[in-house]
Amino acid sequence: MKTVTAFRCKKCGLVMYPGHLRCLKCNNREFEKIEPEGAAKLLTYTVIEQLPWGIDERGRIIGVVEFENGVKAMGVVQAEEVSMGQKLQAAWEPVRYIAGEDVYGFTFYPA
Amino acid sequence: MDMELEAMLRPPETPMAPYPPKMITLATGAKMIVRQVDRSAVPTLLKAVRPTLDIPRDYYDVVGARLYAELLGWYRHRVRDEFCLVGQVDGYLAGIVNSRLFSTKTCISLHTLSLERGLRIGAHLFAAKMEYPLEYLDIEEVLITAESPIGFRRWMIEYGLEPRDGQHELGGADYFALTKDIYLKNKDRLVAGERPVPPDLLEEAEKEIKIRAADKIREKIEGVKEETQ
Amino acid sequence: MKAVYAAGVGMTRFGRRDEVSLVDMMADVGLQAIDDAGLGEQPVDMVYVGNMASGLFNHQVSVASALVDRLNLMPAAADRVENGPASGGSAIKNGFLAVASGYADVVLVVGGEKMREVIGPKATDVVACMTHMEAEYVYGVTLPAMAGMFTRLYMEKYGVTREHLSMVAVKNHKNGTLNPYAHIQMEISLFGIYGHPQSHVTNPVVADPIHLYDCCPVSDGAAAVLLVSEEMAKKLDAKPVLVAGVGQATDTHTLQERAEPTDLKAVRIASEKAFDLAGIKPKDIDVAELHDAFTILEIAESEHAGFFKKGEGAKALVEGKTQIGGSLPINPSGGLKARGHPVGATGVAQAVELVWQLRGEAGDRQVKKAKNGFSLNFGGFGNNVVSLVLRRV
Repeated sequence: MKTVTAFRCKKCGLVMYPGHLRCLKCNNREFEKIEPEGAAKLLTYTVIEQLPWGIDERGRIIGVVEFENGVKAMGVVQAEEVSMGQKLQAAWEPVRYIAGEDVYGFTFYPA
Repeated sequence: MDMELEAMLRPPETPMAPYPPKMITLATGAKMIVRQVDRSAVPTLLKAVRPTLDIPRDYYDVVGARLYAELLGWYRHRVRDEFCLVGQVDGYLAGIVNSRLFSTKTCISLHTLSLERGLRIGAHLFAAKMEYPLEYLDIEEVLITAESPIGFRRWMIEYGLEPRDGQHELGGADYFALTKDIYLKNKDRLVAGERPVPPDLLEEAEKEIKIRAADKIREKIEGVKEETQ
Repeated sequence: MKAVYAAGVGMTRFGRRDEVSLVDMMADVGLQAIDDAGLGEQPVDMVYVGNMASGLFNHQVSVASALVDRLNLMPAAADRVENGPASGGSAIKNGFLAVASGYADVVLVVGGEKMREVIGPKATDVVACMTHMEAEYVYGVTLPAMAGMFTRLYMEKYGVTREHLSMVAVKNHKNGTLNPYAHIQMEISLFGIYGHPQSHVTNPVVADPIHLYDCCPVSDGAAAVLLVSEEMAKKLDAKPVLVAGVGQATDTHTLQERAEPTDLKAVRIASEKAFDLAGIKPKDIDVAELHDAFTILEIAESEHAGFFKKGEGAKALVEGKTQIGGSLPINPSGGLKARGHPVGATGVAQAVELVWQLRGEAGDRQVKKAKNGFSLNFGGFGNNVVSLVLRRV
């Protein structure tokens, strides 16, 4: 499943997502392209009741996760019960509808 | 008045169980008493609604004009099965909501007018006029439309209403239904109120619906008018 | 660097201002600042306008150019400065640098925003455009959602509670009623928004655990400060206040890439820089205007700026230290919560409040004998922060 392209610094090994032209730790400019791998741990989350324009689904849960290989990302959490540190697995689904098109992003389900 | 002719012109009245008054604690800590009023309150209510006809902002003029007509029509026995709830703080009128029973199973929500801004009076009273038919009048669904974008966003989406085909009798946008099911699912989140109302507060509210002067009413709705400097 | 003084200030009521255009609001306060300084016929060399999104809210760009025309300040140099909700702070920083470098003698800084020309959810969306498009925005994240995620971490780490957050709101609403320019003129009660068993209906969740009364309102408004050189300050019949320190720092764009998500690094670094330049320490500050777009931020910033130890901001609040009569009054103006938050105006409005406090002109909300004031303007979600230290001389 193709999701996002994350980056590992070829010099110091720091894993980054989203990308930067220079490593956040050592300023090196060469990176290995990697993909988020493994289960995702929920670092924090919120339940959105007041909706932004363009989204009509109340109670959308958004969280930040850390994948097993160090990639951190935000995504929609689809779970009945949510807790800090919860183990989730990533899917790649439409998360928003912009200008007539589905936009894909991370959706996390209980592992 | 020719009573025979009058009897023909008056709609039949469906008996309605009364709405038990309740007390809501607002963000300021103030208590709002929400209670049902009968026709005798209408002349006072009309005095409060009248100034809104001059306020185009947020569609106060449209809502005010229609509410005025509905209350007057109800007062003169020309609207079928209308009911009206008011919110009072320290006896002063804070807001009015009205609806009417359409059938034994359906109620049509008419209008919501808030005279105090920033305290969610409209939201509280709207919830009360859903609570009344669905919990006390054996109604199965309330049909709702909205005239202002704030109303639409707040109610259609906050409650998760079901869209329906057809025209709301107000002739505006398509309408939505709040079913008993959806109402009960959302009740804890959207409906506040403590019963019974402390007797002294209820007495104060029932004794008199206090109304402010027209320019004060306009000022409260439109906000502070003069510059500070 | 040369000394820089705030010689004049201007302010308009924050709130819903349907009756006036963005440029007119800014022109009004700009003229107030010029008159307050007694500038008379002296020319203004440069104009900086802090404004985040006039193009999106008001369908108008190049507002600095429009302002110069409206006030007949030509041929002054003029730029619009954008740094999200810290646009005002950045505009002041730019004005400060122009005078401190010796390039300009008189710089007018105006912050302004007219957010209520679009409806609520649209305004929320415009503000959400600050987030990372691919990694954050697409998920429907809003600034309240960012605050929600940050607050949850802060609560877990430092034991901050919803009651603490509500206490910030109650304090700032109270202060707002003492400020005739504040958007919200209404005291709220802790019981009404938090203690009452049904307070979750009156004070509903926006982005859990952030509730309605934890969020600042959406406002229109403008504020202005006239910055001058020492020579000019001596010439003018004004009560100048020294801009003693300015600091700015940035952090990662996305929340997930912060080294430690509860660590507001940019707040810390920007504040240290401002204190450094001013030659004083946090304990020397008598009054502070912090950026409480969300109540959690007042608590977190009070720690990261150096006023209280990490994790002890809530304690200071509970002990009353941050009330107007306390040892470190925070947001005597009502803060963003009650004064309002027209995003581009806020950083300048904070400076205006400090000038009034330091001059002894803050009326019922006066902090006694205030000599050193501090303000913090929080851009993005803490990834671009500007701090100021002002001093009565």
